Amino acid sequence: MNVASNSTESIYSQTFGSEEPMSERVASLLVCGAAACVAMTFLWLVFDVFWSGLPFLSFDFLVDVPSSAGRRGGIGPILVSTLLILGVCMVVSLPLGLGAALFLSEYTSENTTSSRLVRYSLDILAGVPSIVFGLFGNAFFCIYLGMGFSILSGGLTLACMVLPLLIRSAEEGLRSVPDEYRAGAAALALSHTRALFQIILPSALPGIMVGLVLGLGRAIAETAALIFTSGYVDRFPDSLMDSGRALSIHIYDLSMNVPGGNNNAYASATVLLALLLCINAVANTFAHCWHRNLTAEAST
Amino acid sequence: MKHKYSLHLLLVLLISALLTGLANAAEKKLILTGSSTIAPLVSEIAKRYEKENPGLRVDVQTGGSSRGVADARRGLADIGMVSRELKAEEDDLLAFAIAKDGICLITNQSNPVASLSDEQVVKIYRGEITNWKEVGGNDAPITVVNKAEGRSTLELFLKHYGLKNQEVKAHVIIGDNEQGVKTVSGNPNALGYVSIGTAEFDAADGVPIKLLPVGGVEASMANVKSGEFPLSRPLNLVVRGQPEGFASDFIRFASSSKVDDIVKEQYFVPVSN
Repeated sequence: MNVASNSTESIYSQTFGSEEPMSERVASLLVCGAAACVAMTFLWLVFDVFWSGLPFLSFDFLVDVPSSAGRRGGIGPILVSTLLILGVCMVVSLPLGLGAALFLSEYTSENTTSSRLVRYSLDILAGVPSIVFGLFGNAFFCIYLGMGFSILSGGLTLACMVLPLLIRSAEEGLRSVPDEYRAGAAALALSHTRALFQIILPSALPGIMVGLVLGLGRAIAETAALIFTSGYVDRFPDSLMDSGRALSIHIYDLSMNVPGGNNNAYASATVLLALLLCINAVANTFAHCWHRNLTAEAST
Repeated sequence: MKHKYSLHLLLVLLISALLTGLANAAEKKLILTGSSTIAPLVSEIAKRYEKENPGLRVDVQTGGSSRGVADARRGLADIGMVSRELKAEEDDLLAFAIAKDGICLITNQSNPVASLSDEQVVKIYRGEITNWKEVGGNDAPITVVNKAEGRSTLELFLKHYGLKNQEVKAHVIIGDNEQGVKTVSGNPNALGYVSIGTAEFDAADGVPIKLLPVGGVEASMANVKSGEFPLSRPLNLVVRGQPEGFASDFIRFASSSKVDDIVKEQYFVPVSN
């Protein structure tokens, strides 16, 4: 990315020198301004949450059970439930999502009716408000399948919600793999499956990781889809069949429904944001290392 | 083919494990759903109950009073939580009060209007009075804050003032109490109504809101307790048919004086004495 932008910049400066026309300057100013706005919003949000939340954060807060409706005590059980819900969501959605993305990009061509239908329904699903997923999850997983308010119902509901995001970005990643790779694999008489797992999937890893991070981000921040599925109970879960309160629901309840819950709401929001930043960093590093190892292996 | 069979076997095992887990979990679990106002209170009561009765579990879910009524009726919940009196058409349910709560009108602290008559409130909510200067305040448009459909606070408010929800001309629709407080404290021209417990706590905590009297009675928890304050409501646990065993024991515990301190801690008024 950096290399590319540097070279574009230098091309323009070589062509125009320092005497850029006024309209060009205004345009680049506007573009830079837009980027700065986006970055500022993010930084302001992070700063505000950390500034108001950090003073109430401690190790005890992370491991203690909440008391007095969350005004005192910590978020130990809530953290555990959140991670379990995310775990269920990922274990279910990752294989399904990858499978569907492979179907779309490797097993059908872009313009067949079936792939268009799948893609169309995914795009619609991606835009469905999360409360609709919540009500669907409540009706289907909790009541129809009899799972009740449980971490399992919550995780499965989230998986339904995250799948479209995951599939679409994994598919984009797979499509961006040059066709020469596929032709090369076929020329070497690699089977379709081997070519997929050894060449195409590793090359598409960055796109898949973007989908994973986006999906995890949406899942971890979800309130509406979880309040009627994984529920409101804030004790340590014994199993996946127990109801467990997610961090985002805890924050919502503390800030909207519990007088005097603001401080702990901010502290919980700090934890949530930190968790999100961590997931982002870990996924990026992981993808980077894996990608580098594979390309190094391939070149030797 | 071998792979396929082992996969099927795994699936069957997984599902049966889930089902047995379900059966075990269902045995000693009491499920309550309903009013988001009552949910934090009952969660705390449930924790104390679980501590005194090891082996029993009480799961509290939220979602609003209407949900509490519906779930108790359909048997999705053992007990529903409803933050109002039961209506005439809900006589298939039995209600047990565990605490009381009052509703009061709130304005921003910077608003000079000290009180509104019942008639003025009705006119404001019907959109017949739209400016604060018509009720002795500044020359500024009134931002009417109303509660979302299905909230007991809304129903109690409408009933007290003889309003219908369709005739209310609201500018902002809110859900939970704290959201109402935040809306009014952030808008100098807003008029809203929330639970007195919440409003009293936030006002004492320095949030810039003002509690208006209703019918000449000062809005305070003391006046709710004495029964003087006209706009108050019971916080009820509701069940379909006479409660038995576990459910009945929990309801007795939740309305006993053993939980008075928890009720007060959540800014509600105990009813046990």
